[in-house]
Parts: sequence; structure tokens; C-alpha cells
Amino acid sequence: MEVTILQQENGWTARMAGRLDTPASLDVANQIKPMLEHADGTIVLDCSEMTYISSSGLRIFLTIRKQASVQGGHVIVSGLSDDIRQVFMMTGFLQLFDIQ
Amino acid sequence: MKSNKLIGRAERWLFARNGLMILLVAIATLEATTLVQYYFSRKGIKEEATNRALSELEATELRITDILDQVETAVRSNVWSIRKDLETPDDLWAVTYRIVADNPMIMGSAIALKPDYYPSKGYYFAPYSYSDGNRIISLQLGSETYDYPTKEWYTKPMELGSGYWSEPYYDTGGGEALMTTFSMPVQDWDGNDIGVVTADVSLNWMTDLVGNVQVYPTAFNVMVSRSGQFMVCPSKALIMNNTIQQVASTFEDSLAVRAVARAMLSGERGSHVVHYRDTVEHVFYAPLPRTGWSMATIVPHEEIYGNVQRINRLIRILQLVGLLLLGFIIFFSARSQLRLREVSEKKNRIENELHVAREIQLSMIPKVFPPYPDRSDIDIAASIIPAKEVGGDLYDFYIHDEKLYFCIGDVSGKGVPASLLMAVTRSLFRTVSAHEKSPGRIVSSINESMSETNDRNMFVTFFAGVLDLGTGHLRYCNAGHNFPLITGPDNAVRCMEVIPNLPLGVASDFHFVEQEMELARGESLFLYTDGLTEAENAGQELFGNERMIRTARKTGNQHAEDQMRAMILAVHDHVGTAKQSDDLTMLFLRYLGSDADPSNLERHLILHNDIQQIPQLADFVEAVSREACLDQSLSLNLNLALEEAVTNVILYAYPEKTDGLVEIEAIIRPDRLDFIISDSGKPFNPLQVPPPDLSLPVEERPVGGLGIYLVNTIMDHVSYAREDGKNILSMNKLLKKNN
Repeated sequence: MEVTILQQENGWTARMAGRLDTPASLDVANQIKPMLEHADGTIVLDCSEMTYISSSGLRIFLTIRKQASVQGGHVIVSGLSDDIRQVFMMTGFLQLFDIQ
Repeated sequence: MKSNKLIGRAERWLFARNGLMILLVAIATLEATTLVQYYFSRKGIKEEATNRALSELEATELRITDILDQVETAVRSNVWSIRKDLETPDDLWAVTYRIVADNPMIMGSAIALKPDYYPSKGYYFAPYSYSDGNRIISLQLGSETYDYPTKEWYTKPMELGSGYWSEPYYDTGGGEALMTTFSMPVQDWDGNDIGVVTADVSLNWMTDLVGNVQVYPTAFNVMVSRSGQFMVCPSKALIMNNTIQQVASTFEDSLAVRAVARAMLSGERGSHVVHYRDTVEHVFYAPLPRTGWSMATIVPHEEIYGNVQRINRLIRILQLVGLLLLGFIIFFSARSQLRLREVSEKKNRIENELHVAREIQLSMIPKVFPPYPDRSDIDIAASIIPAKEVGGDLYDFYIHDEKLYFCIGDVSGKGVPASLLMAVTRSLFRTVSAHEKSPGRIVSSINESMSETNDRNMFVTFFAGVLDLGTGHLRYCNAGHNFPLITGPDNAVRCMEVIPNLPLGVASDFHFVEQEMELARGESLFLYTDGLTEAENAGQELFGNERMIRTARKTGNQHAEDQMRAMILAVHDHVGTAKQSDDLTMLFLRYLGSDADPSNLERHLILHNDIQQIPQLADFVEAVSREACLDQSLSLNLNLALEEAVTNVILYAYPEKTDGLVEIEAIIRPDRLDFIISDSGKPFNPLQVPPPDLSLPVEERPVGGLGIYLVNTIMDHVSYAREDGKNILSMNKLLKKNN
């Protein structure tokens, strides 16, 4: 799993590539900490190269979403593959995010 | 150790005893021969000495007798003249004068007539002539002061009626000469005794004669008279002063001397041994007839036996030297034999240890064939024929998770170091392959471990492969090893496409390229070490690739065991009686494919309660999906469901920081997939967790609780049971026909 986090003018962009399974989520949770502290802008979660996500990965997404909601930010999830979109659907996440 | 010591001591004792026996036998033999030799040579020498002494005495006796005969004859020949001149007494002077004048050895001569024979001449009448050296003087012997009729020289012959030799005496006429007198009776014409006629003889010639007899250089002679007076003796003081009987009493060994004296005086001939002070003397004696005298020659024992004793002593010294030499030889040969024994024991021990090492080494590799008798998908045969007692070749294989992990390798060098490195390589292979499925990574990992500790700059050519027994998919990686062959059921033989890479232990950071291929059913993979292709015959001709391929071509459709046997026979035929120069190792893997009903295909995976093991689960699910021919989407969902279920166990089943296992079993059936996840952790039924409310707004949604929900959503059926202290979560996924 590779995560690339970029701070931009009005927020953040995080590119996630590979499998976001449980052990990977533990790493990613640490990497997104600065993002959570300033979740008042637009946060783009680029999933175009993500091949897999488990519930631990979904927790990361939900945590970001919650923090943005508290701080007045906005979360955009982009590039979901069909398979991952299906997981989002199963868990009701499609309604929680701005999916582009 | 103790028993070894005891054996050693017993052996030493045995050697010592044998050596001693040899020495004793040698001593006994030498002693016996020496004694026999000594005895007979002594006997011979004694006989020789006796003969020599007695014959010398006899010769002397003959010479003396001859002279005495001359004297007697001279006297006798004048008896006639005496008778003729009896009528004219004064003519008798002339007779005595003539006797002295005619016979140089006669010093004086007398005609002593019976007293009153001639009344005119008075009572005594004995005309006497003697030589004083220059002239012959005549005188009348008888007188008041010299009453000759009482003298022995007169009375004895008159008594005996025959010639008589007197006892020796010193000439009283001033001469120093030892004298003796021969006297014989004279008769007149009528045969009446008228007196005696005498001849005085000097014995100087005789003492010279006897004294000069030299039987042995240090021998000396004596002569005694009838009464035992010494006539000849080296000690001049004894002569005419002592008798042999008197001398005898001065000897410690007087009995022997008396015996000699007795024998001599009674006219015997013989020998005696006499001890005198510290010496032993041999006395040989012989009588001188007529006179009653006896001669003896006395020879020191040393003189007779000196030589034989000297020779005997020399022999003894030689024997002693010989025995010492023999002793040394026995000692040193026993010692060297013991040392030899020790060396050979040490050698035996080393050989034994090498043998044990060999057994340990062989116990590491699978050596029971067929190794999987109840499997129909793989047929394996392998053998190692080491050149030395312990070799550096290795092979190994095992089946895990329906995959055959195998390797073959050849360690540079031979003997114990090679063997140890072989053992290390083999255990590295086992260790690394337990958690690495990729032969490339297995080989890299072994290479890294080996390069780190490779102080001796040894290397290993190695080939590792992982064969999926379900599909025949083969992944492999070569580390500088010989290219394997692939033989087909149609007896076609081809070389495997192999990138050489580098041997293990050469460069720690080398990137080993992994390759893959599909093995068709009935095809065999034949791996070998260069001991096969480089097997030499007596003409140093190699077995070579060509012969190997030709042999492989004949047997490609046979069992692995038969293929191997054919190859071994071919090598034996080629090598003949030549010495095997290198380890010869072969591994035949004949892939037969799975005939089993795929509905019964079971796969297992065991993980530790470590979240980092999750990727292995992903590989497992992927493999199962591939075997079940699932599409990627379903595979991903199954992966998700299983990860959620297994993560649950890993995170919550066992107390923190304790080691626990989670076992995953997958059963691929034609219509569905079953998964059973079990653990020995605390009892927990995940199905009792309430499902999350998905309609809640984001602010109210809890972050957790999705895992079990996902499992339930993805799987068609999920159930929980607690059995034998285990949590067992069973779930299945129905498969649609088009999947």
C-alpha cells in the first residue's frame, strides 16, 4: 500500500495505491494524522489505484469523513473501481461520501 | 573410554607376554646348544689333552729306557771279562776302567766282590774307576768306613739275582750331579754269585730330558723315585729333599695328591685332577719301567680348557648381544605395532564418526521412496551416491499446501566441510520455504544468509522449484546449477529454459531471476548434479550430456524410480571399475496431475495471531479462487470476508502478546466454496454482534462493527460453533454455473 498525501491551497489530496487491508490500514492511520488536524478544506481521496479495501480501510475513510464534518470540511472520493464501489455500497458508505 | 583403556592395557600385556615368550624360547635354545657344544668340546679337549700328555710321557719314557738299556748292555757285556779275570784280581781294575772309558754316560764303575772273596785282598775288595771329567781314577772302594756289603746297591741285586737301579742320590764326590747306580750280580763260571758290578750314571741328561717335555706352554713335569723322592721338579729345593708324600700333606687337596702319589708309586698310568690354591691342575702320570720311577706332567686346567672357555665366553657375549638385540626388536616392533593399532583405531573412529555423520546427513533428506505412496499426482525418485564417505550434494522436497517444494544442490569441495554446508543449505531451504512461496525469493534469501557467513569462500550450485500439484504450474529459480531436463511420455527430452544466475554464497546482493513454466501431465523433471555428467571411466572419458539425454529418452514414459535406475545403470556401465570421483545425485519428479474430484479439493493455511500475516491469507484466497476458477470480483469479496473473519480472531481471540494460531480450511466443491476458520482463543460468537445501522448520518455512525457485517453480507451462509475448546466459524459461498 502506498499513500501519497499532498497539502493543497484549499485542502488535501491523498492518493492510495494497492491493497488497503488491515495491516496497511494501521500504517495509513498514522500517515493521515496531519490531514485530520486540518480537515476544514476539501479533502480528495483518490482511489483510482486502490485494488482492495477491508473494514479497517473503511474505518480510515469514515474517520476522515467524521473529522471533516466536525471541522467543516468536505470529502471527495474519486476513482473507485467497481469492486470497491460494491463494498462501499454494501456498507452504506456511498451515501456518506461525495463520490466522483 | 574406560573399556578402550582396558583393552589397550590387555593388549600391551599380551604383547609383553608374547615378547617375553619369544625371548625365553630364544634363551633356552641358545643355552641348550651352548651347553651341548661346550660339553662335547670339553670332552674332546680332555681326550686330546690326555692323549697328548700320555703320549708325550711315553715318548720320554722310551728315550730314557733307551739310555738305561745302553747302560745295562755296557755293564752286561763286561760280565764275561770279569769272569775271565777272576783268577787275577788286579786285572779287575782294568775292567772297571774300560767300562768308564768306553761309555761316556757311565761316570764310574765298581766290581764289588763278596767279603773275603780273595783272602789275600782282605775283607773288602772292590776295584773302582771313575771319571772326574778329565781323567779316569781307579781306587779300592771298600774300607772300614765304607762297608759296601751293607749298601743297597750291593744287597739288592744280590737278593734279587738281577740288575737293580738304585734310588737316585747326589754324588758325594763333590759333583752336583744327581746320580743313580745300576748294579747287577756277577757269577763265576760255576754260576756262584761272586759279587756285583756297578755303573754310576749321572741323571743330569734325564732331568734335562724330562724337564724339557712341554706338553703345554705352562705345564711342568716332575719325576719321583720309587720312594717318592723328587728327581725332577721345577722347585729345585724339593729335589732329593722331599718325597711326594711329604709334599702332599701341604696341599689343601691332600687326598687327591696322595692318590696321585699312590698311583705313581705303584707304577700306574693315568690322570688326576688336583686343586691347588685357586687353580685346578690336571696331573698325567706314567711309570718308568725297571727303575720303578714315575713321571708326571702337570697342566693347569686353564691351559687345557682356556680356549674352550674363552670361546664359550665369546659365545656368551655374542648371545647376550643377540638377545639384547632380539629384545629391542621385540620391544620396538611391539611398540610400533601398538602404535599402528592405535592409529588404525583412531582411523576407525574417524571413519565411524564420518559414517554417523553420513547417517545424520541422510536422515535430513527424504530417502524413503516412493515418498507419497497415497498420492497419484506426483511420482518422485531420488538418490545420492557420495564419492567420499560424506558428500556435499543435497536434494530435498516436501509437499505443503498442495505444492511440491524441491531443490537440488552441489556444494563446492568434498568431505566434512562440504557436508556441513550441505546441511546448512538444506535447513535454510526448509526454513525459508516455510514462509516463502516464490523460488526466486527462497533462493535470494538462502543466498543472503549464506553469503553473510561464508568465510571459507565455498559456494553451492542450487536449483529450487515450487510445483503446483493441482495445475502443473512450476515456478523455479536456478543458482548456477546444471540445467534440468524435461522428459515427456513420448520419450521426447528437452532442456529446461533456465537463466543461470550465480551460485549461492558468491554475491550477497545478487538478484536471482525467477522463471515459470507449465509442466504437462506425464512429464518428468530430471535434476542432477555434475557428478552424473562428469562421471569418468578408466579412460577419463566423461559420461556427458549426450549419454545422459540418450538414456533419458528411452525411459521418459516410465516411473521415476525406473528412470533413475536406468540412469544409474548407464553411469555404472560407463564408469566400469574406475573410482567414483564426485558425488552423484539425481532427482526425478514425474508430474501426473490431479485425478482427484475437484469437489474434494481441500486447502489449508495456518497463521499466527499477527496482523502482518494477513498478506499470506490474501495469497491463499487468491490461490483457492484460481483453483475454483472464480472471477476477480468474487475473489476480492471472498478475500474481504475472510480477512474480516480472520482479523477478528487475530485481534481479539487471544490475550495480547501471547502466541496463538488461526487455521483456515478451504474446500472447493463444484457448487460452492466452504471456509472453516478455527482458533483456540477465548469463546466468542461473532454472529451475536448486532449489525450496524447503515441509515445513520455520518456523525452518528460508529467507526467499527463493519467486519462481521461484511462477512455476513458476502457469504451465503455463516455459522458458529464451539467445539473441543475451539471457536469454529464456518461459511460458504454458492457458485453460479457461469462462474
